Amino acid sequence: MVETFHLSKLYSRGVYALRDLSLKVDKGEFVFLTGPSGAGKSTLLRLLLREILPSEGEIIVAGRNLARMSANQVQTYRRSVGFVFQDFKLIPRMTVLENVAFVPRVLGAPVATQRRKTFQVLKWVGLQHRINAYPFELSGGEQQRIAIARALVNDPMLILADEPTGNLDPDLSLEIMNLFREINARGTSVIVATHDRELIRRVGRRAITLDHGSVVEIDDQAAVDARA
Amino acid sequence: MQGLRYFVREAMVSLWRGRRAALLSVATIAAAVFVLGGFLLLGANLDRLVARWSAAAEFSVYWRDDATREQQGAVDRILAGSAVVAGREAVTKETALQRFKRDFPALALAAGSLERNPLPASVEVRLRPGADPEAVAQLATQISKVAGVADVRYDRQWIERVLAVVVLARGLGLLLAAVLIVAACLTVANVVRLALFARLDEVRIMALVGAPMSYIRGPFVVEGLLQGGLGTAVAVILLYIGFRGAQARYGDAVASLAGDGTFVFLPIGLTTLLVLGGLALGCVGGMVATRGARGVTVES
Repeated sequence: MVETFHLSKLYSRGVYALRDLSLKVDKGEFVFLTGPSGAGKSTLLRLLLREILPSEGEIIVAGRNLARMSANQVQTYRRSVGFVFQDFKLIPRMTVLENVAFVPRVLGAPVATQRRKTFQVLKWVGLQHRINAYPFELSGGEQQRIAIARALVNDPMLILADEPTGNLDPDLSLEIMNLFREINARGTSVIVATHDRELIRRVGRRAITLDHGSVVEIDDQAAVDARA
Repeated sequence: MQGLRYFVREAMVSLWRGRRAALLSVATIAAAVFVLGGFLLLGANLDRLVARWSAAAEFSVYWRDDATREQQGAVDRILAGSAVVAGREAVTKETALQRFKRDFPALALAAGSLERNPLPASVEVRLRPGADPEAVAQLATQISKVAGVADVRYDRQWIERVLAVVVLARGLGLLLAAVLIVAACLTVANVVRLALFARLDEVRIMALVGAPMSYIRGPFVVEGLLQGGLGTAVAVILLYIGFRGAQARYGDAVASLAGDGTFVFLPIGLTTLLVLGGLALGCVGGMVATRGARGVTVES
């Protein structure tokens, strides 16, 4: 699903955020990216979202080289990727329903399809009863569930989540991770960036540890331990 | 259609949220269009006035008292052969005195008491509408050289001077309007840019979910368009109110100078063009403001 080859990202101030990074995530896999702040986790996710371009190396997602995409191809690619941020990035002036329906709407889906998909996904995250609430009326966990619903509404092949539990307490964090596990169980590849090692241990999936922009450890054991 | 509805709804919501800045933008557009429209209105009416005066323009050939029939015949032949002359009428000394007494009744008694008639005989020449001023000037010079001709008076000379002032005023007006239009365009662009920055998170999310660029820029371009439309509407309404006010105050004076129907509002074609120009102005402002929207989320 995702493969990077000798990937480097040099920011303009001369600092390498990623350096010679090669890794592979299989189709339908759930992977954690972990490491301290500044390790390059967010930069890798931004590269995978095709928000920024690599300085060197290549990123292949579902057989497509992200660096060689035209603007129109980037649009099409992004429609197949869902993203979740630490700070939820919900639009405050929109209700829960509008925040989620926003995605099919801007992609030009018919109104009936927008409503059907939105209700479906809100039901799935268990927030169908809060459709008329505004983000500020929701708890952190509920807001993140809405963000996840928004990421899912377009049936993506890949979900990218950047510190999705960073603002949540441990119980809510596990609840959110369980949602990601369910998403993954339906066949969607999931990459979650987090520095919370305890959470990784509890969820039990392959963890790739980055430091100073390079892979320092690939822990397949976490997954094995969790299954044991 | 669904997209257009979305653009308009989002643009109106954004306009309402940023109504103070939008008001400034609308006022700037209104000022620019008002100045441009004002000069166009003034220019169109002065053109009409000058055209009427030009159509009524004459040049008059005044004879010396000792002018001979041969000399008068020579001038008649020149006028008959000229392409700029529409007609001519000989006015005798007696007819000239009668006209003077009719036009200036208060002086009629004094004129009658003179021992001899001081008014010269003349030929009143009517010019063709749109006659080439150069050709008329040449004709006047040619006639003034014929022996027996005391003077040639050419009305168009001062009309030309009025016309020159009109052209100069119009040029200055257009220059001023052009400066205001650029200022209005920049104001719209900045106001729309403010709206864009206020919704940067939204724009970023739209781009990250793969929304087409037209869908991202559309509401902002429509916002500029609405500002342009509102500003132009305000300007045209103010222009019309100003015109009606001026008509009520000066209409009679203008009618006595140039006849009824000289003082009119901008033709519908020009008004439509003005409105379309205002809309285009807002649209360009919106497009300029969102030109860099792609750069918000896509590195290329």
